[in-house]
Amino acid sequence: MNVKALTTAALLAGTAAIVPMAAYAAAGDTLKTVQARGELNCTSGDGNFQGFFEIDDKGKWHGIDIDYCRAVGIAIFGSDEKVKLIPISWAQRFPSLQSGDLDLVIKATGWTMSRDTELGVQFSTPYFLGATQFMVHKELNAGSVKDLDGGTICTAGGTSTERLIADYIKANDYDIKLVSFEKNTEASAAYFANRCDSFAEWGPVLAARRASAPNPDEHAILPDVLAMEPEAAAMRQGDDAWVDLVNWVIAVGRIAEENGITSKNIDEQKANPKSATVAKLLGVTPGIGNRLGLSDDWAYNVIKVIGNAEEIYDRNVGKDSPYKLERGMNAPWQKGGVFVPPILD
Amino acid sequence: MSNVAIVSGEIPPPRHDTFLAAVRKGYFATPGAAAVTSVCLALIALAVWTVFRWAVLDAVWSSGGPDMCQQATGACWAVIAARWRLIFFGLYPYDEQWRSALACAAILATVVVSCFPFSWSAKRLPLVWIAGYGVFYGLMRGGFLGLPTVLETQWGGLSLTLFVFSTVVVTGMPIAVCLALLRRSRLPVIARTVAVLIDGIRSLPLVAILFTAAIIIPYALPHFLVGDKLYRVIAGFSLFFAVYQAEIIRGGMQALPAGQEEAAHALGLNYWQTMSRIVLPQAFRHALPPTINQVVITFMETSLIVIIGFFEVMASGNAAFSTAEWSATYVEVYVFVAAIYFAFTFTLSRYGAYLERRLNVARH
Repeated sequence: MNVKALTTAALLAGTAAIVPMAAYAAAGDTLKTVQARGELNCTSGDGNFQGFFEIDDKGKWHGIDIDYCRAVGIAIFGSDEKVKLIPISWAQRFPSLQSGDLDLVIKATGWTMSRDTELGVQFSTPYFLGATQFMVHKELNAGSVKDLDGGTICTAGGTSTERLIADYIKANDYDIKLVSFEKNTEASAAYFANRCDSFAEWGPVLAARRASAPNPDEHAILPDVLAMEPEAAAMRQGDDAWVDLVNWVIAVGRIAEENGITSKNIDEQKANPKSATVAKLLGVTPGIGNRLGLSDDWAYNVIKVIGNAEEIYDRNVGKDSPYKLERGMNAPWQKGGVFVPPILD
Repeated sequence: MSNVAIVSGEIPPPRHDTFLAAVRKGYFATPGAAAVTSVCLALIALAVWTVFRWAVLDAVWSSGGPDMCQQATGACWAVIAARWRLIFFGLYPYDEQWRSALACAAILATVVVSCFPFSWSAKRLPLVWIAGYGVFYGLMRGGFLGLPTVLETQWGGLSLTLFVFSTVVVTGMPIAVCLALLRRSRLPVIARTVAVLIDGIRSLPLVAILFTAAIIIPYALPHFLVGDKLYRVIAGFSLFFAVYQAEIIRGGMQALPAGQEEAAHALGLNYWQTMSRIVLPQAFRHALPPTINQVVITFMETSLIVIIGFFEVMASGNAAFSTAEWSATYVEVYVFVAAIYFAFTFTLSRYGAYLERRLNVARH
């Protein structure tokens, strides 16, 4: 983000001249390439990004992004053993996608117009909405950002977050002092040391910091949302079939959730499908597979191993994770969120 | 004292102050000096005590886990106990990490062996390194004798840092010597071209070179020439090291009196004999302090390879604390990683001091 974003910008500017030429050379039938190679090359990080990709004590990757990489691999190969999670820095993700080192970028990547149009990248449907929010000391009894008037906000300097907050404060004419730090670890340390009244960051990061605070219950995340960023998978421009495949891998998790199918009850549901949609989804009646060039049980395999959208969320950032991030807008529309899956017919 | 000597007409024996007397004279001579000394001592004691209390007395050691650390006021060394394998081995598969440890030991042994004067011959040194790298590569990569293959993208931690560092220095040094000799060539075309090359590469940032090696080279070269990202990056890194080192060696050569080379010619030595027996050994002696400096800097700079997605020891350290349980323990992890770096660079600089002493003995 901060330093990384600057390096990214500088390096991308440097590579921009070369990348577009090669962009189309590497495009083509990605699915066939992946099947022929016998491996799906997907992203992991050059460090942890809490809840999205992080390494456990045994050096294994976990997180929402990792789960979606695995899901695509399972859809293609039937198991996630053939998913190669390649450590990639932020700066490197798009050039590596263009050069063909990666088949897919799922790395907390926001869908922006410049990436979509100028970088030769195609985005999937969003799988996560990330909000920039504020965390405050509960003892202040602040219910919204308005109550912080006259107070201070700690944040990491030189980031898009810092600019967003400055704009937000100015637009609303609040008298709030912004205290910038080099890294967000320093900013959060300052906040926990009571140097500031609040700490502003991306929602999932706030949740992660709160989880590791000495007294997690003493901190609240305000409902105000400064900005919302849709996170989506990025693919090379020009391979529509591959984009379709990734979109449908994301979609089946949501369709499964709508129909109450989880990794635990999926076998009962398959034995006894309660609707035509469920029958199609789980491959009882044919159709879901060959339209994408996959086998008919691909969605069954994905949900069986990875789970539906709710399970992915809860396990990695939600209530079954240390972060306990409210699902909010990431829920389907029936539960107060904004996500609506496409229709499986 | 001098009066006494004059009176008695004898030279008094040299007087050594006792330790206490020396301290009194040096630090407590006047009330002002005494005050300054006391204040400084108190500050140092306070700092040492604070660090000691944080690092030892109030610290949470291995057992207990993150919950106990949240309550503790001191250091949380439990994070090291829980995550040390990640710091040392990065993403290397958990069950195979003994191989990474052995490979690390192999590289270290190679470095140590080649640091002894015994191995300094044109035959022994390459042999030692080929053997060392053979063992390292075999262990890390596997794929024979039932060892599962571990690709370079999964290498990480300390063994990756050591591998990158030693390869950069070992391949960069001969290139540096060649560049230094070429730059002093009597043919202006060669000397100028090499000068432009050296100055050109020196004016590029290392990060840009690494990024180019990792990302842009695959576009420019035919596929069979590309090779693994790790080796491209090491190649770029050694070139960067070589151009700096070439200038250091050239500096060492220019410190030599011209008479040395002229005398060699007068004796009938040809170019190679002059260089290998007369010029370069003396140039290296002059260039030793900046060379050690450059090597230490290179060791530190290996952490830059994180920019293209390698889990060297610093990046692994970052990954070790940035999880939900441990994210408050970054100071402890950084202290631990700093201790690793310190152990290596301090050893390197002590070795440099040893070399200087040895070479000086040879001179007198």
